[in-house]
Amino acid sequence: MTNVRARSVVSLARIEAVHLSRSVPVLSGLMVSGVAMWLITYRSQPLWWSNDWRIGYGQTVISLTVLVGAQLATARSRRDGLQELYESFPTSTGQRTLAHLIGVLGAAPAAVLLVGVAAGAFALQGALGTPDLTTLIGGILLVLAGGVIGVAIGSRFPHPLAGVLGAFVWLLPFSQSNRFNSAIPWLFPWVKPAQLSELPRRLAGYPPALAHALELAAIVVLAGVVALAITSAARRHRVGLLVAGAAGLAGLVVTCLVQLQPIPTRDIDRVVSEAANTGAAQHCTTSEANGHNVRYCLYPAFGSLLPTVQAPVNGVLSLTPVQLAHPLTISQTSGLDIEDSTLTHGHSSQQVTAWRARLQNAPANLPSSSAIYVNLGRWPSGGHQQSVARFDLALGAAEWAVGLPTNTGPPTGLLPTQCVPLNQAREAIAIWLAARATHLPTAQFQGRNGSYSVAAVDGTAVVVWTYPGEISGYFASPGPQTTADGYLLAQAMTKLPTARVLGLLTSNWDSWISPHATNAELASALGITLPAVRLVGPRGQVITPLAPPGSQPQCTT
Amino acid sequence: MGELIVNGSTSARDEAAVRVGGLSRRYGEIRALDAVDLTLDRGITGLLGPNGAGKTTLLSILATVNEPDAGDIKIFGLNPKIHAERVQIRRQLGFLPQELGYHRHFTVAGFLDYVAILKEIVDRRRRAEEVARVLATVGMEGFGRRRIRTLSGGFRQRLAIAQSLLGSPELLVLDEPTAGLDTEQRLRFRELLSNLPGDPVIVLSTHQADDIAAICPRVVVVLDGRIAFAGTPTALADTAAGHVWTATQRDERAHMSWRDGDNQWRHIGDLPPTGSVTATPTVEDGYLLLSHAGGKR
Repeated sequence: MTNVRARSVVSLARIEAVHLSRSVPVLSGLMVSGVAMWLITYRSQPLWWSNDWRIGYGQTVISLTVLVGAQLATARSRRDGLQELYESFPTSTGQRTLAHLIGVLGAAPAAVLLVGVAAGAFALQGALGTPDLTTLIGGILLVLAGGVIGVAIGSRFPHPLAGVLGAFVWLLPFSQSNRFNSAIPWLFPWVKPAQLSELPRRLAGYPPALAHALELAAIVVLAGVVALAITSAARRHRVGLLVAGAAGLAGLVVTCLVQLQPIPTRDIDRVVSEAANTGAAQHCTTSEANGHNVRYCLYPAFGSLLPTVQAPVNGVLSLTPVQLAHPLTISQTSGLDIEDSTLTHGHSSQQVTAWRARLQNAPANLPSSSAIYVNLGRWPSGGHQQSVARFDLALGAAEWAVGLPTNTGPPTGLLPTQCVPLNQAREAIAIWLAARATHLPTAQFQGRNGSYSVAAVDGTAVVVWTYPGEISGYFASPGPQTTADGYLLAQAMTKLPTARVLGLLTSNWDSWISPHATNAELASALGITLPAVRLVGPRGQVITPLAPPGSQPQCTT
Repeated sequence: MGELIVNGSTSARDEAAVRVGGLSRRYGEIRALDAVDLTLDRGITGLLGPNGAGKTTLLSILATVNEPDAGDIKIFGLNPKIHAERVQIRRQLGFLPQELGYHRHFTVAGFLDYVAILKEIVDRRRRAEEVARVLATVGMEGFGRRRIRTLSGGFRQRLAIAQSLLGSPELLVLDEPTAGLDTEQRLRFRELLSNLPGDPVIVLSTHQADDIAAICPRVVVVLDGRIAFAGTPTALADTAAGHVWTATQRDERAHMSWRDGDNQWRHIGDLPPTGSVTATPTVEDGYLLLSHAGGKR
């Protein structure tokens, strides 16, 4: 290519890049991608080894819209009836296509902006770990690949719907990746691996970021070659395109094969060990609050979480009037799913069975009344979600303080294993302690927090209270099933002066936390009317709850 | 059909800017061009012919965007069938197709800048100067930042003409450039073409015979894919001498007749109507008579 031709291509590419970056599809894709990223990350703990991949997933939207924008730009001359004029210029169709291909770089600033804003937001949230540059570059390549594919489509199909159709085809893999097992999903443009936020640290090769970025680069090369082959009539270019196409295809095959390689046994073994044998993998510190010793065990990367975990627990302990004999342990646990074949593909079923057995014996899977297991990757970074999580942790600590179980273990079969502190004053005391410890605003506590449902306890229908965050998965398994009676009594207690309630509890703590102390006794001692649960139907009628099938035990110890 | 040399002396033939020999082009069963021989020199050549006569095909071949089935073309001594020479021709070409679309969301200056790059005007400053020059030439100073979609049809046509002038081409191929222009704009266009510097080769296809008469020293009439006439407008008008009359009444024997502004019937035919007066033929008369003869043939 002569100097003049090269400069023409560069000048055109510059204009196309500016047009693309300001095009409606790209700008709307930028906004929607930003929203998508926020939606898929705001609920979770910002862990860089998970979120850098989620950033790429969020960029799928802009990849699609860049595809549409690039197709529209490439087919512009034909669609607008200027093809004949353009053919009369010394700049050939092939050169124009090359300019469009280079012009796809105009979408790169939007992709980089998304990465930058997301990284900044995660940094502000105190993201743990460090981002992987290769993964972030992979996300940008995903956007560019969409653009180059758009150019290839536009080179052949000028109709504006061709780009939209192409985007659907490009989108299809994203929506279908969960249908495939093993390492196949890695070959798709981008997927969102479920296990990333269950890992206590970055696991090399999961996902295979470098090979995937190179796969996307190979797709860029191949789509570019297709676009140029469609539009370049010159025979002398054919050889170059053939070589580039062969190189791109070879790159695609090699990178796909690399991504299909199993993760080394020793790497998974180490992760399983860290999840199953938390004592050896975590850093534990013991802190004292109001005479109580609490052991906090966190994975090395999560050390900065300690203050936010300590605060609600210390709040409960500062209100607990007596010294408790059995210490409390707050520990992180991993919800690693060894059944996920993207993690274990290529390994024998015996090996997977062995890993499963080790994970089943993890401490979090065993019932306990002195340990709370915080799921890693679930602790919210701030806002309302964190205040809910703090309440839930405080409730766990309070349940420990009143002698209720703190960890019931995973359910066996379909029935929940949670016991129900039916008509036990200690339940209301625990809820009251958690509310006071976290300074939960009365309005929030009394508002639409949690929900009522009906459970069967010893064959009797009981209205139970699902507290805020109970189903958010902050903890490996919950403590007892709280009842609506206990919640309403605690709610009434929050209206009383704290000193008055504490005074009553301190005077006879052991009696009040006994399973035999009833809600009515506590209400009477506090001089309040015991609130009654009334279930009201949609037309205002009072509903008598019916016991559902199955039965949960009462908390007796 | 023998070779017709427009503005043709023997010496002009040797130095002709554009030489076309035995040019044929078919679209399926339709014969668009049939062994056309033509030589064009610098200056304006008007191309007249009815719809479907082959004008647009001829122009698109001259603009190197269409390839003939047979025949030879040399433009400034270059053969458009050879890739490198075709590119050379295109570097000296300004082309206005018959039906030009628009990038509606482009600005006027943005579109011209884009076309200038396609014409390999790569220096940014020179490009800006060129854009300003052609905008001034078509009377669109101050329109640079306007979106094309906001322009009226006449201004869009002016913009189309402006793009063809970028780079001061040596060969200007204009297919119906005055379509959509009002009277004043057409007069301005005539002025524009007449004042183009460098004496380029201009081929102008139009249905406006008065445009031809006004600015074209040479005229070519294309009928049924063949060159039916090539010569000066005066010579074309002269072909109708003795075939044009005015009368107070319509004569059924006339090939064509219409009432003019003076409420007189103007007749073109072989026999004079009763009580008619011989009229001085115009280019239009010559063209119409030729078309009629072509139609009968």
